[in-house]
Amino acid sequence: MKINLSKYSTIGLVSLLSLIIFVIPYSASLEYSLRGKFGKGHDLTNYLWIFHQEGFLSHLSLSLELGLLAGLLNLVLMVPTATFLHLSLQRYKSLVDFICILPLMIPVVSLAVGAEYAMPSFLQNSQMELVFFFVILALPFTFRVLDSALSAIPLKTLVEASRSLGASWPATIMRVIVPAAKGGISSAFFLSFALGIGEYTITSLLHWDTFTTWTVDISQQNVLGSIALSTFSFLFAIALLVTIALVSSNRKKKQKELGETS
Amino acid sequence: MSKRVTSGSELVISGISRAFGAVQALDRFSLTIAPGELVCLLGPSGCGKTTALRIVAGLEKSDAGTVMIDGEDLLAKDANQRDIGMVFQSYSLFPNMTVAENIAYGLRVRKKSKEQINKRVAEMLELVSLQSKMNSFPHQLSGGQQQRVALARALAIEPRVLLLDEPLSALDAQVRTQIRDEIRRIQIESGTTTLFVTHDQEEAMAISDRVGVMQHGRLEQIDTPNTLYNKPETTFVAGFVGITNYIPSVADSKNEVQVLGQVLEISEHSSVVKKGEEVRALVRPESIHVEKASHGAKIITKSFLGPMTRVGVDAGLAELIYAEMSSKEAKKFDTGDHVKISITTEMVMVESV
Repeated sequence: MKINLSKYSTIGLVSLLSLIIFVIPYSASLEYSLRGKFGKGHDLTNYLWIFHQEGFLSHLSLSLELGLLAGLLNLVLMVPTATFLHLSLQRYKSLVDFICILPLMIPVVSLAVGAEYAMPSFLQNSQMELVFFFVILALPFTFRVLDSALSAIPLKTLVEASRSLGASWPATIMRVIVPAAKGGISSAFFLSFALGIGEYTITSLLHWDTFTTWTVDISQQNVLGSIALSTFSFLFAIALLVTIALVSSNRKKKQKELGETS
Repeated sequence: MSKRVTSGSELVISGISRAFGAVQALDRFSLTIAPGELVCLLGPSGCGKTTALRIVAGLEKSDAGTVMIDGEDLLAKDANQRDIGMVFQSYSLFPNMTVAENIAYGLRVRKKSKEQINKRVAEMLELVSLQSKMNSFPHQLSGGQQQRVALARALAIEPRVLLLDEPLSALDAQVRTQIRDEIRRIQIESGTTTLFVTHDQEEAMAISDRVGVMQHGRLEQIDTPNTLYNKPETTFVAGFVGITNYIPSVADSKNEVQVLGQVLEISEHSSVVKKGEEVRALVRPESIHVEKASHGAKIITKSFLGPMTRVGVDAGLAELIYAEMSSKEAKKFDTGDHVKISITTEMVMVESV
């Protein structure tokens, strides 16, 4: 068997870089966060300290709620938009593309202050306004993900087939487009979700308190605890993404098995 | 096999037009399809046949005209409210659904009961002989199987009219013939009024009750395949349907023409000609008789077509003249043989040069 040396050397190089950039710092953080009182021994003291801090669960659940709502709102807004852009409004695609890029071009301070004033007053007084900011911040990424996901499926004929069979537009989007482009749609959702639960700048500028701002405040009280907190946040995000990936691959596997046994 | 015969619906298309910028895709196009009839629209690319079909389906807007099913105007309705089944060239099965789920889709959106859906899906699976594939996903099926599922899905909703948009174009030759016959069998069994669009004349002739030949957004002629082939009303139809020799000739009078030294009558629907005018006579290959000779025209090509054989004869004209004969008779001839050719019909269609 011929061994492809260049392929193996590329894999080796990428692994080495990953080790230097990710594995070493995170391993060091993990080791540091597990150190006992006064740096002696290893135990879960610092992690237990996080869970006992006031507001841990309330801030975490608020961030999860805001992230979830941002992810859903993003899909409700962008899936139909991207669908119609692909089907019949191709000429407006570059305009929408430009609008979606604006959150990367406009300084966050201007965005926060400007958009805050544009919000209806009942939203200005509610933490729910953050959902809209998270949606805006995620637009540059979610639009591109959805755009390429919809380009990868025969969208026009699927929509026409669904419509000719009697389905309304909402039914066509929910029953045909969403499942056919679910890879891209779930990526768009998790991008907004992840951005929502990790966003700090706008939340802090608008004087709201979420898990990220709470993390910064609490970190100032305990050095080892702050390391434990950042490690916990990182592992929590990884666990969330791995769970989602596993659920999605299990569903794919089940579909495949069902097809093969028929 | 369960047999369901419906009365079918009458489809009347009157004077529909559609322009895309400067291109007039459809120009006052009219067509009436009787209940239970299968009509094929045949024509070259860009002739407007698919546009006509998409307007009937509600997937394209019409600039003028009406589309009626059983006297009900369709143009005011959205595509999802027309009760029309459609089969596409690219199958367009929903990739996330099994065969059974694809067939059930139209019934689900109509909120039929579970029992009704299961019963109808079973009937449709039996109709297209795919019971064993009911739990398969589209990517696990061959092209022919996918198109049968698409047909079952379109018929499951008991459409008033079935539209088929080049449904066999993506299939290989052998499967194409098989699915073509299956479509016709199912269409007759279900009694569904059907409009079929294709650019393949053999397909159109084999499957249809009537064939409409289109050019430049208009219907040139609509008739039974037999009449269309034997009595074309325009030179375009004569040339587009079947193989035709265009033989340079000279008009003897406005009623007679000299073709290959023979004086023949000019058929109706020909171009208006005057004495001495140079014209082209349209002659089918089966109307050319070939016999051995010691000199003169020469056989250049010989194509075996199963029971028939086609020979290409160089008669000193710009193009070869093609003649068809039984393969048994063709054994007498080889390429390079000298032959004499004559026309066996008494009447030919002519067009001005």
